[in-house]
Amino acid sequence: MIPNHDKLEQEISRELKALPELTAPAAVAGRVMAAIARRAQVPWYRRSWVAWPVAAQGTALAAMLVLFGGLCLAGWEFSHAETTTQALHRAGHWFSGFNTIGSLFNIFADAALVVVKKLGTTFMVACLAVAALGYAIFLGLGTVYFRLAFAKH
Amino acid sequence: MTNAEQFETFMQNYQNMVFSTAMRLLANPSEAEDVTQEVFLKAYGNFDRLLGNPSAGGWLKTVATNLSLNHLSRYRSRWSFFSELFGAGDEAAGEPEFPAEDNVEEALMKTERCTMVERVLQELPPAQRVPLVLYHLEDLGYEEIAAKLGVSLGKVKTDISRGREVLRRKLRLKLNAEENLI
Repeated sequence: MIPNHDKLEQEISRELKALPELTAPAAVAGRVMAAIARRAQVPWYRRSWVAWPVAAQGTALAAMLVLFGGLCLAGWEFSHAETTTQALHRAGHWFSGFNTIGSLFNIFADAALVVVKKLGTTFMVACLAVAALGYAIFLGLGTVYFRLAFAKH
Repeated sequence: MTNAEQFETFMQNYQNMVFSTAMRLLANPSEAEDVTQEVFLKAYGNFDRLLGNPSAGGWLKTVATNLSLNHLSRYRSRWSFFSELFGAGDEAAGEPEFPAEDNVEEALMKTERCTMVERVLQELPPAQRVPLVLYHLEDLGYEEIAAKLGVSLGKVKTDISRGREVLRRKLRLKLNAEENLI
């Protein structure tokens, strides 16, 4: 028995469009007004950037541009250096105040490089694969739990 | 009247419409309430433009629809595989029990009928309910729905068709063609 699809479409439209509006919970308006009041009390520096005062926006933009320029420069220096020591030495000319942090970073970077070379690429790839598999298993188990726990009975 | 008072009045005028839109897409009162709150917080940010604007209702409805779909997609992208897996028995799940009389439409009062339609709609699986609501209540075309949901046109048509069929069965809609066959 195949129903008339156009007729069914019209009937469903009629039924659904005849539905009255649902009544919003009484608490909604209060929650919205409370959220608006809370937002108004938040200091400017904790709001989104677009809501900041113009002067603060300009300062933040300038700072971000300087930071971005610095990162680009550092990237350039690293890509043209043969060792991290050499790169940090060059970067040291630009960021002399960060020498201590640079040395520390250098030690960690060299140590990480030694570990990777010692363990071999295959081992590292295997570790990554195990981590990915573990993530997938936990995601799967979590999903099954979620579906079972919140299934409609 | 202060800005806050004006906004409260504005909210009272539209909160049922916004809540209904979210509720029919999400089928979950607390999530619909969260979306409603989010819609009005966005509206507050644009209140200067919305106040006295005749298209404010349309703006609110569009925002409510989009936020509801965003809310759904956050879960759908994560759980879709398992939804499909468990969704095979969608139509059998949660079969509501309604009076078995043949003339159920006559037997029920209009309010009861609406409650029943609302309930059946909310019990549809999201894959069928969402495109069905977008098509029949938001007046979107199949292509628009497919684009909004990020699924194929064929899937949208199939899901809407299945959703209608479930509604037809559960609401015992009688169609002329069918009646003639009987």
